[in-house]
Amino acid sequence: MERRDFLKAAAAAGVGLAIPDKLNTLLHAATTAVTQRIDLAICHGASPAAITRAAVDALGGMRHFISKGDVVVVKPNIGWDRTPEQAANTNPLVVATLVLMCYEAGAKKVKVFDRSCDDARRCYVQSGIPLAAEAAGAEVSFINDRKFKEVAIGGERIKSWLLYTELLEADKIINVPIAKTHSLAKLTMSLKNWMGVMGGPRGRIHQGIDEALVDLALVIKPALTVLDAVRILTANGPTGGSLNDVKKLDTVIAGVDQIAIDSYGATLFGMTGNDLGFVRAGARRGIGTMDLSKLSIKKIEA
Amino acid sequence: MKHARRVTQGVFLVVFFFLFLQTESKGTDELGYPVKLFIDFDPLIFLSTILSSHALAAALYLSIILIVLTMLLGRVFCGWVCPLGTLNNIIGSMKRWPPREKARNWFRVKYYILFFILTSSLFTMQLVGIMDPLSLVVRSFSLSIYPAFNYSVNAALDAAYKLNVKGITTVADYVYEISKKTVLAFQQPYFTQGVFVGLLFIGILALNLVERRFWCRYLCPLGALLGLLSRYPLLKRTASEGCNACGACEYSCQGNAKPGDPGTWMPTECLYCWNCDDMCPRDGVSFRFSIKKAPAKLDLGRRKVLASALAGAAAVPLFRATPVFKSGYPDPGLIRPPGALEEREFLAKCVKCGECMKVCTTNGLQPTLFEAGAEGIWSPMLVPRIGYCEYKCTLCGQVCPTGAIQKLAFEDKAKVKIGTAMVDRSRCLPFAHAIPCIVCEEMCPLPKKAIWFEETRAMNRDGKPVEVKQPHVDLELCTGCGICETKCPLVGKPGIYITSIGETRSKENQLLLGSRESSPSL
Repeated sequence: MERRDFLKAAAAAGVGLAIPDKLNTLLHAATTAVTQRIDLAICHGASPAAITRAAVDALGGMRHFISKGDVVVVKPNIGWDRTPEQAANTNPLVVATLVLMCYEAGAKKVKVFDRSCDDARRCYVQSGIPLAAEAAGAEVSFINDRKFKEVAIGGERIKSWLLYTELLEADKIINVPIAKTHSLAKLTMSLKNWMGVMGGPRGRIHQGIDEALVDLALVIKPALTVLDAVRILTANGPTGGSLNDVKKLDTVIAGVDQIAIDSYGATLFGMTGNDLGFVRAGARRGIGTMDLSKLSIKKIEA
Repeated sequence: MKHARRVTQGVFLVVFFFLFLQTESKGTDELGYPVKLFIDFDPLIFLSTILSSHALAAALYLSIILIVLTMLLGRVFCGWVCPLGTLNNIIGSMKRWPPREKARNWFRVKYYILFFILTSSLFTMQLVGIMDPLSLVVRSFSLSIYPAFNYSVNAALDAAYKLNVKGITTVADYVYEISKKTVLAFQQPYFTQGVFVGLLFIGILALNLVERRFWCRYLCPLGALLGLLSRYPLLKRTASEGCNACGACEYSCQGNAKPGDPGTWMPTECLYCWNCDDMCPRDGVSFRFSIKKAPAKLDLGRRKVLASALAGAAAVPLFRATPVFKSGYPDPGLIRPPGALEEREFLAKCVKCGECMKVCTTNGLQPTLFEAGAEGIWSPMLVPRIGYCEYKCTLCGQVCPTGAIQKLAFEDKAKVKIGTAMVDRSRCLPFAHAIPCIVCEEMCPLPKKAIWFEETRAMNRDGKPVEVKQPHVDLELCTGCGICETKCPLVGKPGIYITSIGETRSKENQLLLGSRESSPSL
């Protein structure tokens, strides 16, 4: 099965290269229909780069998500003045591997940024993400306050909000959160990572966090999400700071459905998606699937 | 020589501004440049700090170089190096002066200012920073001129973006990218006393239009100290016998050193600008090394010297008989940066240069007005609503030239309390309004968070129970960094706030039984 999937995906990708853009998309749709659908790829292994690559490949490869000439935003969590070992920011190698794979798939430009919570300069340096992502060719920038734009969201808690234009103008978006505890949302993973493109007084969304996070998902639709669980933060999140609270899982979870990913992510902490208000809300409002039994999940060692 | 001097002045001014611009975090633990170098060379700060605190920062020993240099060469620092002197020079040259403008005879004033400052230092009151030229120029640029410059560039760019014309936006983008990398601050700095500090500085510059180098000639206490050191310089001005006292040099003299007559030249006032040499129609002036006695003596008048010294001594009780110095009456808002010495020792060392406020990553360090008494004016205090103390940042201690803020390694800084957070239950959303919010706890940077929750059910207006987490502060763990107050979503008056209580540096300003009484101050 695995090999057949891979070959089909590879073939589709190969053909895709030679065909104009619109046809390409059609063909992609056709081939995915034929291929057995995989919702979540869970990849475990010692190398963050290798497991990231293997997980995305299991979903059909980066070409399945990125088209030639795309401007892509890869959005990690660079929220905190913490080093990678402290598991408060996304693993830099996971981010860099995705950047690299985007270029391999023909992306024109890959941008990486986050609106940090601590001082942005310290977060960017200590996280190691800019260093790794730039080495992979990404354009890493600090948030420029001029680039926020009021966007109508029409959600249950958020009617409109300032969002970052570089994200809104991108052809494709890849979400790369890290899995951590959070005192209100219980866990912060895919959905909560989008707070990093909100301008203005975003702290207020905690007043109705579960619905607000789903509201954001109405307008921000990543083509791919890779949840970093190379290290997870099991207490004192989202900031952490003590290595005692860090658990090394050497895992990434890749998929398109953010609710499904966060639902699976909950199991890493001994919870289920049903324990998380925003996952329940997302499932109820039709953003994605919470019930893991309805998903095709593929586990890989790499 | 004039050209050589101008080039030298320009080079030092550029170095000064370069180091000034480097006084900003790049995200790493250290800055990588000796940004306080100019102040390190300042013998006035060196001397007054020894007097006021009976101790000094090691770096200040560099100022001995300047002391020796001045004893040999006279006030070359004033004429060739000092950034404020150079700025005065530039402003003064903008006015077209009437020929044969007569200079004032006020040069003694700066010596009286010096004696006032040094005597008050001797009685532990450190006022030197108010008028020390290097402290003044760093502070004025940090708190006022540079923020204003940033503001103007950004406002111009904003206007360009608003036009929303394709070509203009592209140019604006280009200008923004370049200036961001070179001269603009990472984020717009705002300071509570920007206008006040800025107007004083502009006033000082404007005095150059009354008389050239007005500040340097009549007011500068560092110039006075260097003047005292250059009473018997080896490098001396001589006029040849052909001098017919035509006076051409008199009017070009920057220091008002009375060079017109060879017998009246005052080495203590000479800035070694070499203008008299360049101007002399007979080419009769030269500067030479000699051990002969200088022609004119510096006569300051014993009574006036004594009076200014007495005034400096009398100022100490005058400034101190205020409640700030009442025992057990600390100002709750006077939150000093981590590593700051105990308040008295701190005031004895702080020279109000503003380096710490310039470098503060969050803009939270602001100048005091009277919170620390009149003598503490423009010393740093954290205003957490403006910015918090970044957990892993130790830059303020690194740039402090006198050690008023000690240089701490992160591991030591993490143990220092600068104050304590308390929740205002009448405003905090989960307490007062049954609305969920956890921002203070989320932001708390301690590995074991100093904010913990009591999970309770609060009642809303309809009588429905709402699950809320009400924040409490662990008084032992909280370091008072203030990120909770900065980020509290209640704008204006916050739901959680910091006061200085519990600060490590103070034995009095405590609240817990047995917490600090016996522990040594930092």
